Amino acid sequence: MWGGKLRLPPTSDPGSLTMRERIGRTGGELRRLAHDRGLLLVLVVVVALVATFVVFPLFQVFRESIFPRGQFDATHFVRFFQGAPFLITPFFNSLILGGLVALTGTVVGFTFAFAIARANVPGSRVFRWIATLPMISPPFIMALAAILLLGNRGMITQVIHNVFGVRWSIYGLPGLVLTQTLAYFPVAFMALEGVLRAIDRSTEEAAFDLGASKLRTFVKVTLPLAAPGIGAALLLLFVISLGDFGNPIVIGGRFQVLTVQAYLAITGRYNMPLGATLAILLLVPTALVFIVQRYWLSRRSHVTVTGRPTPSTAHASGPLLRWVLFGVLCFLSGVILLFYGMVVYGAFTHLWGVNHALTMDNFRYVFSVGRRYFMNTVQLAAIATPIGGILGILIAFLVTRKRFPGRKTLDFLSMMNFAVPGIVVGIGYLLAFNAPPLRLTGTAAIILAVFVFQRMPVAIRDGAAMLQQVDAAIDESASDLGAGFMRTFGRIVLPLVAPAMFSGMAYMFATCVTSISAVVMVVSARWQLMTVALLNDVDNAQLSRAAAWGVVIIAVVLAAIFVLDVLVSRLLSRRGSHGR
Amino acid sequence: MRRWAVGLCALALVGVSALGQEVLNIYTAFDVDQAQTYVEEFENAHPDIRVEFVRLSAGALLARLRAEHPRPGASLWLAGPSDTHIIAAAEGLLEPYTASLGWQYLPEWAKCPDGYWSGIYTGFIGFATNKDFLEEHGLEPPTSWYDLLEPEYEFKVSMAYPYTSGTGYTRLASLVFLLGEEEGLEFERKLAEHAVHHYTSSGSAPATEAGLGEVAVGIAFSHDIVARAVGLGYPVVMSFPKEGTGYEVGAISLIKNGPEPELAKVFYDWMMSAEAQTLYQEWYRVPLNPAAEVHPEAVTAAEVTLVDYDFVWAADNRDRLSDLWQELTGF
Amino acid sequence: MAGELLLQELTKVFFGLREQVVAVDHANLAVEEGSLVTLLGPSGCGKTTTLRMVGGFEIPTSGEIYLAEERITELPPQRRNTATVFQSYGLFPHMSVFENVAFGLKVRRFRRAEIRRKVEETLALVGLQGLGGRPPNHLSGGQQQRVALCRALVIEPQVLLFDEPLSNLDAKLRVETRDHIRKLQKTLGITSLYVTHDQAEAMAISDLIAVMHAGCIQQMGTPYEIYAKPANTFIADFIGRANFLRGRVAQITEGEMVLDLDGGDSIVVAASDGYAAGDRVKVVVRPEAVDLVGPGEGELSGAITLAHYTGSMATYQVELPDGEVFNVEVLSPQEKGFLEPGTEVGIRIHRKSVHVLDVD
Repeated sequence: MWGGKLRLPPTSDPGSLTMRERIGRTGGELRRLAHDRGLLLVLVVVVALVATFVVFPLFQVFRESIFPRGQFDATHFVRFFQGAPFLITPFFNSLILGGLVALTGTVVGFTFAFAIARANVPGSRVFRWIATLPMISPPFIMALAAILLLGNRGMITQVIHNVFGVRWSIYGLPGLVLTQTLAYFPVAFMALEGVLRAIDRSTEEAAFDLGASKLRTFVKVTLPLAAPGIGAALLLLFVISLGDFGNPIVIGGRFQVLTVQAYLAITGRYNMPLGATLAILLLVPTALVFIVQRYWLSRRSHVTVTGRPTPSTAHASGPLLRWVLFGVLCFLSGVILLFYGMVVYGAFTHLWGVNHALTMDNFRYVFSVGRRYFMNTVQLAAIATPIGGILGILIAFLVTRKRFPGRKTLDFLSMMNFAVPGIVVGIGYLLAFNAPPLRLTGTAAIILAVFVFQRMPVAIRDGAAMLQQVDAAIDESASDLGAGFMRTFGRIVLPLVAPAMFSGMAYMFATCVTSISAVVMVVSARWQLMTVALLNDVDNAQLSRAAAWGVVIIAVVLAAIFVLDVLVSRLLSRRGSHGR
Repeated sequence: MRRWAVGLCALALVGVSALGQEVLNIYTAFDVDQAQTYVEEFENAHPDIRVEFVRLSAGALLARLRAEHPRPGASLWLAGPSDTHIIAAAEGLLEPYTASLGWQYLPEWAKCPDGYWSGIYTGFIGFATNKDFLEEHGLEPPTSWYDLLEPEYEFKVSMAYPYTSGTGYTRLASLVFLLGEEEGLEFERKLAEHAVHHYTSSGSAPATEAGLGEVAVGIAFSHDIVARAVGLGYPVVMSFPKEGTGYEVGAISLIKNGPEPELAKVFYDWMMSAEAQTLYQEWYRVPLNPAAEVHPEAVTAAEVTLVDYDFVWAADNRDRLSDLWQELTGF
Repeated sequence: MAGELLLQELTKVFFGLREQVVAVDHANLAVEEGSLVTLLGPSGCGKTTTLRMVGGFEIPTSGEIYLAEERITELPPQRRNTATVFQSYGLFPHMSVFENVAFGLKVRRFRRAEIRRKVEETLALVGLQGLGGRPPNHLSGGQQQRVALCRALVIEPQVLLFDEPLSNLDAKLRVETRDHIRKLQKTLGITSLYVTHDQAEAMAISDLIAVMHAGCIQQMGTPYEIYAKPANTFIADFIGRANFLRGRVAQITEGEMVLDLDGGDSIVVAASDGYAAGDRVKVVVRPEAVDLVGPGEGELSGAITLAHYTGSMATYQVELPDGEVFNVEVLSPQEKGFLEPGTEVGIRIHRKSVHVLDVD
């Protein structure tokens, strides 16, 4: 587009523009829209969708928190500032937990990233695979495994107790930090691996040449270069930890956090204003973090990249460090595998804690009583995934390639749910779609909408990345040759991004199948989901059966990834004959 | 060229294929597997009706009815303490029904005078204590509410939130009836401060948690303690506070404007029958149909000291007490 | 199928977060039916933005665009009968060459047989017959370029727009393709707007050249006019190479004027309007429009500081007494002898080739 190829002449004095030129942009874009019916139609639909399913629910949360039943009543905020423990405690607990998990998760993520990207430890492919495992499983799998292993009567707890006579409690802050770190460090890993790979090795080598020691190089060169990435990882993990619902409700113990309290306030006692207030308390810090990231951190982030990484045989670490890192990674991976292994083992036991004989009963239950949960989840995720994927690309296409008034606003609004914790989205949906004209509670549609719109920011970001691979001249050619918006999008853009889109869909499907925090608010008698069933079983302390659900969910996700992978490679091989 | 599009459509079609069919939707406070027992038996007796149910804690169930009013997603509310049904009736969320067979045999205290709900079982709040724990510490099972405040039990007791769970609220109300409102709440505060390991949203979970050993004591209804812990083989012993304990009348009711009112009545009638309530044996519940068979291990009223439990007062004060409780305990 | 293309006071401002950038500043331009007009200028001068506004890919901030007397200023690309040959070609990689060319016809709902006929015909026209079944990525760069041209031609647009169409080709192919395009354009008589930063390409292909700088069209004229009578220093410098001498108008007689060069003799040149005796002027002298003569002969003198021999010509830099450097190109150096650096020379200016500009 114009920003890329064209070097623009220096800014002219804005005062020299006539009024007509100042308003000319919007006016011209509006007149253009009037002539481009296809684009106009699509825009109207997209704007309506975003307004209905992103903006409106969030607005309802705000409204409910200070205007419950149509009258101004900020009781809960007043109580918050008066220091009422049931509002203050979860607020600060969430912040403390978020801060700790941001630190530990970033440290673990950085260790993985550094070992794989810079130190070239052996078996890095295996380590990477293990590190992605938590991203495709329901987050509270970790909490469940932690109870099985480290709970008051967990496997490890028992052994330690028998040998050393020591007991501890995993419930509360320590357990939460442990489980959230294991569940979410991959986010930091993914972010930092890219950053570390992008650092030009010659920078480090230059430091060696100048006689700096390895440690000094790491502290003075590598770390500062990776700093913006580290900052981003910290903020991201903070926000994810704040929004996590699954782990705290399972292993939180006496440690209350905002998500769980909001969930209890609404599902437990139908105190909507209280729930909405807790949601806002949750939203404020996450929104702040995103503002910080967007307007402060992003400005500093261009220090790192000096172009393509130069392949180099000289590594930033000596053999000693490499093996130390290898050992650390083995330990961490071992812990992750142990946690997952525990869930699998638990799923095949009769009655956890009493009868550890192996059985298929739990799976029989899952596929008999729980069959419809299974079917619902797979069906709804399978419907939501293509819709979300295509909508994401469509919006990305609109905001990156098309000119229309309000483009920036649409971009912002459609990305907004990125900063909104799932439980807040869920509460918003509950508030927004329980009354005419859009009464969706109890339907499959509301779950679909949650699936699609909660994940939309990721889909749009992915879509924008895919579109970057498509030369703008290609879609411009199509419209130049007379194709309207729909034809250009459907016949040219979509087929070109299809392989990337299918790859992205696997992840999208996984997040739908494993999601809990937003959908837990909108599931109904007819439309129950596997994650909610898992939650109920954990809630009822039926750990073996909960573990069976966990295994089934992970199996579904892996199967979906496999199927889409095959689909993509077949698609690409057919493309191959076309010379791609 | 179009195969990708076909693939997408196929993917989408996987889903759309299973929508709608004439079924009865139920909200139940029974645990899933227990509800499944009754639902299966019912479906055997009525092969033309298929039942879909959602399991929710009683408080959550009430919350959902309020949220969904006036277009509820289910027609029948199965189980859960009568106080929650009383609140729902007062709020106009229920439909009266006195034509049921069971209406005649129920004593006055076990049914709504206006027919909004009928009792289908009773149960008593009790303590589920882990035997290994008792052995390790050389203790006897707690027999008094005050035992729970002893240092041995510090942060080792689990119980349900009063506002999410019928069991939890029955516990709170029982203490209020036993000690008076101020004292009762103060006692709960002390429990929260000194004894509670964590609160659960489900009422029956504490029994299993005691069985697992995750906590030393779980406070739950007697039938849940037997069904969820003792009966399954967990090392749990059940005991009751000598000062007196609360009890529930588990109830059934028709949801106002439910989508399948006629089907709901069929289930309602069936649930009142001796045949249905004999199924309680598997779960150690105490039936209210005098003709139903009772499991010999089920705890009946004769075995425990009861507080003078006023269901209507308990129902009327549920939100107020819950709010006070939250203010006081901070949970 | 043709018509005049008219740009009126066309302006495009890009609005950034903190600043606005005027990319095209009140451009006026007419492309006569059947002619080829080139927008020429350095990168960033606004030429591509202008072309993209004509194609409909950018929306003008103000001003109007008319095509065959119809106002098309805000029409989207698909609603205006223009066709663009993109710098990167923009071929559809998932379609065969045939499908690429047929795309515009399918959109226009031509019948299948008709599409086949037209596509084959046009492919033959650009010399691609028989390659219809190939995927575009299997073709060479030159062939891809012709597919792009073919795809634009087949829909018989009222205006053909070229956005640096040759910049991805190697030097030799560029000349070939350039001539091919020019020949096709002339035979088919298609009104064309052509964008390039390469002045040689512009000179070779255009009926008229519009030189753009900093968003403004600074001069419009035939290739001859642009080179011989540049409107200002920028154009004189941008088109070809130029030496600038400063001087003063000494005397104006009928049809001629005498200029006193700073640090040199005076020369007599053809008179230009608007100058009076005593005005300071700038004199544009092309490097090839001088002869090297013996020291003391000619209007200027100096010493050669740099000498290159490139086969067809020799280029010299001559340092004048005031320290300025004067570039000289001598064709057929074999005839005239190659001069070594250090040689003292005189410079005789071809008076008819001299162009006079205001001092800026």
